[in-house]
Amino acid sequence: MEEKQLNEKESLELITQMIRNTQQRLEKDNGIPFLIWGYTTVIVSLIVWYMLTTTGNHMWNFFWLTIPVIGLPLMFIFLKKKAKTPKTYIDKIISYVWTVIGISAFIPSLASSFIYSFPILFLVVVLISIGTTITGLIIKFRPLIISGFIGMFLSVICLILGNTSDSILVFAALFLLIQVIPGHILNWKGRKNV
Amino acid sequence: MFKELDPLLHSELRLAIMSILLSIEEADFVYLKDTTKSTSGNLSVQIDKLSEAGYVEVERGFVGKRTRTVCKITPVGVKAFEKYVESLKGYLNL
Repeated sequence: MEEKQLNEKESLELITQMIRNTQQRLEKDNGIPFLIWGYTTVIVSLIVWYMLTTTGNHMWNFFWLTIPVIGLPLMFIFLKKKAKTPKTYIDKIISYVWTVIGISAFIPSLASSFIYSFPILFLVVVLISIGTTITGLIIKFRPLIISGFIGMFLSVICLILGNTSDSILVFAALFLLIQVIPGHILNWKGRKNV
Repeated sequence: MFKELDPLLHSELRLAIMSILLSIEEADFVYLKDTTKSTSGNLSVQIDKLSEAGYVEVERGFVGKRTRTVCKITPVGVKAFEKYVESLKGYLNL
């Protein structure tokens, strides 16, 4: 592109073209945060379930804390790599949504571990499902909307099972549904768009 | 009576930069260079002109050992862009 004067029609075409270029490049790697948190949660859940059922030692519940310990540094690395791509207003809104949801899932998780025991897995599935659905609505991506709503609906199973080891298995399966699967679909769609 | 088109925006590369920055929150130098298919030298000169006019904000920092230049449109830039598009509409009878 050179430093040249444009006529009015060319100006309008250029504006439209540039805005379109930015829109087309937005979806690449959008699924990575879903995969980071999804896989971390599923793997940690299965380890906690296995250790609780084989040893019967409830101290293994503290192993849940490894989710942020693994997830946060991975997110940090991802965001650092993503710094090269432009940051859109949509990225900003989505990051606000997930920050609020992350905090509102983490605080009750601590409360459930140290203060008063309640069906925390149910609450976490509901909150993450809400985040998935809202993200889907913002980026107009149907698999996220659908999996989020299914997650909200099926979270009741965790409520019925209460704080049992079976509930942990359901929790892991629901995380596959509301994070891992939509994350892969999002990445696949993003790669196709680029 | 036609409104005068802002000469700062009525140039191919500067208009391209402003259009990109209007639709995203911030963009780094490499992204702008790739999207506008311009040379580093020319892009740098045009960004400086837009920055001097207060239309864009330029932040220079580091990612690891590499320098990274990030550009953002300012409220003054948004106003100028809106005014420019309004003037264009006048010329094109929209």
